[in-house]
Amino acid sequence: MDAITKYIKGDKVIWFAVLFLCIASVLTVYSSIVTLAYKYRAGDTEYYLFEHGKILILGLGLMYLTHLIPHRYYSRISQIALYLVVPLLLYTLFKGTNLNSADRWLTLPIINKTFQPSEVAKLVLIIYVARVLGRKQDQIKDFKGAFLPIIVPVIIICGLIMPADFSTAAILFATCVILMFIGRINMKYIGIMVGMMAVAVTILVSVIWAMPEDALRDKGRILTWKHRIDNFSSGEEKANWQSEQAKIAIALGGIPGQGPGKSVQRNFLPHPYSDFIYAIVLEEYGLIGGIGIMLLYLIILFRGIKVATLLPNSFGAFLVVGCCYGIVFQALINMAVAVNIFPVTGQTLPLISKGGTSIWFTCIAIGIILSVSREVVNEETNEYVSA
Amino acid sequence: MTTNKKDVLWRIYLVYILTCLFCLVIIGKITIIQFVEGEELRTKGRSVTTKIIDIKATRGNIYDCKGSLLATSLPIYEVRMDLNTDALTNEVFDEHIDSLCMRLAEFYPNKSALDYKVELVSARENGARYHLIKRNVRYNDLQILKTFPLFRKGQYKGGFITIRRNKREKPFNMLAHRTIGYDREDVVSVGIEGAYNKELKGVSGSRLMQKIAGGVWKPINDDNEIQPQDGYDILTTIDINIQDVAYEALLRNLERREADHGTVVVMEVATGEIKAIANLSRGETGKYYEKYNYAIGERTDPGSTFKLASVIALLEDGYVEPEDSVDAGNGYHMFYDKPMRDSHKGGHGVISLHQALVYSSNIGIAKLVEEHYGKHPEKFIEQLHNMNLHQKTGIEILGEETPVIIDVNSDDWSGTTLPNMAIGYSTMFSPIQILTLYNAVANGGKMVQPMLVKEIREKTKLVERFETTVLKKQICSSTTIEKVQKMLEDVVADENGTAKILQSAEFKIAGKTGTAWISKNGKFLKGKYRASFAGYFPADNPKYSCIVVVSDPVGYDYYGASVAGPIFKEIANKIFASNMAFYQELAEQDIKANSRIPYSKNGYKKDLLTVFENIGVEPKVDLSANDWVITSTSEEDVTLENRKIINNLVPNVIGMGLMDAVYLLENSGLIIVSEGRGVIKQQSIKPGVESGKNQKIYLKLS
Repeated sequence: MDAITKYIKGDKVIWFAVLFLCIASVLTVYSSIVTLAYKYRAGDTEYYLFEHGKILILGLGLMYLTHLIPHRYYSRISQIALYLVVPLLLYTLFKGTNLNSADRWLTLPIINKTFQPSEVAKLVLIIYVARVLGRKQDQIKDFKGAFLPIIVPVIIICGLIMPADFSTAAILFATCVILMFIGRINMKYIGIMVGMMAVAVTILVSVIWAMPEDALRDKGRILTWKHRIDNFSSGEEKANWQSEQAKIAIALGGIPGQGPGKSVQRNFLPHPYSDFIYAIVLEEYGLIGGIGIMLLYLIILFRGIKVATLLPNSFGAFLVVGCCYGIVFQALINMAVAVNIFPVTGQTLPLISKGGTSIWFTCIAIGIILSVSREVVNEETNEYVSA
Repeated sequence: MTTNKKDVLWRIYLVYILTCLFCLVIIGKITIIQFVEGEELRTKGRSVTTKIIDIKATRGNIYDCKGSLLATSLPIYEVRMDLNTDALTNEVFDEHIDSLCMRLAEFYPNKSALDYKVELVSARENGARYHLIKRNVRYNDLQILKTFPLFRKGQYKGGFITIRRNKREKPFNMLAHRTIGYDREDVVSVGIEGAYNKELKGVSGSRLMQKIAGGVWKPINDDNEIQPQDGYDILTTIDINIQDVAYEALLRNLERREADHGTVVVMEVATGEIKAIANLSRGETGKYYEKYNYAIGERTDPGSTFKLASVIALLEDGYVEPEDSVDAGNGYHMFYDKPMRDSHKGGHGVISLHQALVYSSNIGIAKLVEEHYGKHPEKFIEQLHNMNLHQKTGIEILGEETPVIIDVNSDDWSGTTLPNMAIGYSTMFSPIQILTLYNAVANGGKMVQPMLVKEIREKTKLVERFETTVLKKQICSSTTIEKVQKMLEDVVADENGTAKILQSAEFKIAGKTGTAWISKNGKFLKGKYRASFAGYFPADNPKYSCIVVVSDPVGYDYYGASVAGPIFKEIANKIFASNMAFYQELAEQDIKANSRIPYSKNGYKKDLLTVFENIGVEPKVDLSANDWVITSTSEEDVTLENRKIINNLVPNVIGMGLMDAVYLLENSGLIIVSEGRGVIKQQSIKPGVESGKNQKIYLKLS
C-alpha cells in the first residue's frame, strides 16, 4: 500500500473505477470483435485483443503522467493549445482520412495511425473554458468581460467540429454551456445564445430536409444525419434495423445476462465494439452489468464533484467538473443510443469502446481530474480535506 | 465570496441530480425493453440469428455388374458475388474490376469484358450482395475462377461466393439411360434411381447455423450437428459392354429403318439378371433418344412370338405332338366371320405342328388351338396361367403393367378371340414379359424373375444381396420343354425357318420371329408393323436370352426376321465373341506353377531381360528374338522366343500383360475392351487378321 501511495497520487476510488472500466473494456471488446476478426484477420481475435490491450496500457500510462503534473499548468497549456487546435481541425476537415464517410480522422505521420483531432479539441476547449471561468469570477456576470471570451472560442471550435461530427460538437457545446451555467455566467446571455442556436439548428435541419438527396451526396455527413433522423422519427422496422438489433441484444440479456462471450447479436450490430458496445454489455452481463458500468461513471462523476465542491470558484473546480461531464455525457449519450432513446450518433463509450484516440484522451481527462484531486485528498486515508 | 460559493454549489448539485435522473431514464428504458417488449424481441432474435439447415447426403453410385460407374454424383458449383462486401472499397473495386472482367470474358466468352463490367458495376450500384456470376461450374473450373482478381481475395474481401450442389452424372450418357433413370424434384422418379431412391438417397444431416455479419451462416458448434449418412451404392446386373453392344446395334438398325422406336433386353438365362436394356425412340429431328422404357412399360399385342405359348399349351395338354399335322390350306381361312391369312404366298398346305411354328403359320397354330380348345377355352387360359403369363414379372423398376388376357366369361370374349389369341393378338404383353417366357424355356422350364439390381453396398461393405427369384419352378413338363426347344432351334436352323437369317457357324441361336400389326385403341393401323425376335443362345447350352422389338420401321421390309433378327444376331455374335467363346477354351490354360523359375508373361524383350537380370535368372534368348518375345518357362530355365509383330495385322497378345497388349493393339489402331486381371488368355480377333481402324478387340485376362 505504501508503494502504491508513493507513486499513485490522487483519489484512489477514481483509480479503481478506471481499472474496473478497463477490465470491462477488455472483456466486451474481446467478445464483440469476433466479426471484425472474421472479416479481416481470418478469425484471429487475439490480434485485436493485443491491439486493444496495448491501447489501454498506453492510456493508463498517459493517465499516470498527466496526474503527476500540477493542474495549474493545464491552464496555460490550454491557452496555447487552443491556437494549435484550430488549424488542426481545419486541416482535418479538408484533408482528413475518411472512415465511415466521416472526415473526423487524421492520419498521423511516421506512426501511420489515424486519430481524431476533435478529441484533442474537446479537451483543450473544456480546459480553456474552465480557465476563463476561474479567472473571470470577479466580473462573471459581465457580457464583454466573461461571456464573450468564453463563447467565441466555443462557437469556433464546435463550428469546426460540427460538419464532420455533429454529435461530438453538440455534446461539447452542451458541456461548455453547463460549465458556464455552473461557473455563474449570466443566465440571460446563456438563454439567448441557446435560443439562437436552437433557431439556427432548426433552420439548418429544415433546409436539409427540403433539399433533394442528390444535392447532399457530396456534402459529407449531412446525408447520414438526414437518414438517421429520418429513421429514428419514422420508426420503420427496416430502417431502424440497427436499433432493433440492439434492442434484441438487450432483451436477450435479461437481468443476469448471457454470460461473457455469449453474445449473439454482436454478429448483427454494425459496430458492436464501439457505437453499440453498451448493448453487448447488456446482452452478456445483463441489467446488473449495465447498471454496474453506469455506476462506475457516476462514481467518477461523484468523486470529481466532491473535489470541485472543495475548491469552489477556482480553475481546479471548473476543470474537474468540465472533464467529468465531458466523459459522463458522452457515456450517457452512448447508452441512450444503445437503448434507443436517441438516434444513432456514433459516440463511443469512453474507456470501454475500442479505439485509440477516444481512450487516450479519456485517460488524459481522468489524469487531470486525479491531478486536481491531489490538492484535496489525504493520501493516507483517501479522504478529502478542504484546501 | 460565500454567496458565490453557495451559488456554484447548488448549480453543481442540480446538474448532478439531473444527470442521475437521466441515468434512471436509461435504466427505465432497459427494463421496458427487457420486460415489456422482451418476449417478442427474443423470439425475433432467435428466429433471425439461428436456423437448422439440412446437410444433403451424397447420393450413392450406381454400378454395372463389373463395377463400372453408371451414375454418380459430382459436385457442381454456383458462383455468386457479394459486390457490396465491406472490404470491397471503391479503390479496391476500381483497381481490379477491369482485369476481373477480362479474365471472365476469356473464360466464359459468351459475354465481352465490357458486358461483364457494365453488369457488375450496375449490380454494385444497386447494392447487390448475391449477384449471379455463373451456374453449373465444375470443380476444376472453380479452381481457375478462384485465381481471378478480386475472386482470389475470397468471400469477405473479394465477395466471391460459391454454393455447392451435387449433380447427377451418367458417365456412359445414353447407355441404359432410361433404366438407370433419374430422381428429380416434383416428378415421379423412374428407373433404378427411382426404385432404389430410398437406399441411394441416404439420410440428410442437420446443423445449427448462426448468422454472422454480411448474411453469412456459420455453424455454431459441432455437437449440434447430425452427420449426413451417404446413400448406399447400387450394383446392377447390367454389363456395360453388353449394354454398349445392344445400344449400338439397336441404334444403327433403327436409324437405317427410320423406325419409330425399339427396344432390346438381354437377360442371363440362369439368373434372370438383365445384362442390357436399351430403349430408343425417334425424336423430331430423326435422332434417337432414351425417352421411355418400352421394354417394361409398353404393353402391346405380342404377335407371333406368343405362338410359343400356344404350342406349349397344346403339347402340355397332350392334344398334339410336334409331328401331328394340320391343314394350313391356301393361306386364307375364315374363323367365324373374320378372315385370317398367312404371309407365305399360296399357303402352307398340310404341315406339322413343328412346321407351323417354324414357318410361323397363323392358320396352322390358330386352327389347332381352335380345334382343341374351342369348346373349353378356359383350359387354354389355364395353361397360360400355368406359364405364369397372367402376372407381372415384378421387375424392380416402375412402369410394368399386368398382361391382358381376356376373361372367357367377359363380354369382350367372342368366337374369334381364341384363334386370335393363339397367334398373339387380343392379348397384351410387354417385351420383358415375353422375354421372361422365352428365358424360362431356355432355362429348362424354370421361370425366373428378371432382375436389375444385384447388391446394395455401403462403400465396400455389403448391405443386401438379391438372389434370383423363381416365379415358377416348372412352367411345363420337361418333355414339352425339350420339344419346343427343338422347334425354336429349327426356326433358325431349318432351311425354310422364318429366322434362317440368324444362322451362324460358331454357335446356334433359338428363337421366334414376330411381325404384328400395330393397333391403337383397339384398331389396327394400316401399314404399321412391329417386328420382333425373342430367343436365346447358344441353343444347346443357353446362357443369354434376348428380345428385340422394332416398332414401325419405314418401308416394305417390316418382318421380324429381317428387321429385328439382324439386331439379335449382331448382339449374340458380339457377346459370344467377347464372353462365351472363352468359357470353352479356358480349360486348356494351365498355370506353370511349382517351377524354380518364376512364371513370366510374354512381352517386351528389354523389359523382361532387365527383370530376369535383377532376380538372377539367365534366360535363353532365341536368336530370332526381336523386340517382342514369348516366354516359355520350364523346370530349370526360361526361353525367350520371337513373337512376330507385323504392321496392320492384329498381333498375338496372348500370354502378355495388359500394359504390353494395350501398347501393341493400340498401335494397330484397335480399341481395347478388357476384362479380368493378370495375363491375357483370349483375344476376340484372331492374330494375323488385318486390323481395321477403331475396331474393338475384347481381351480376357485371368
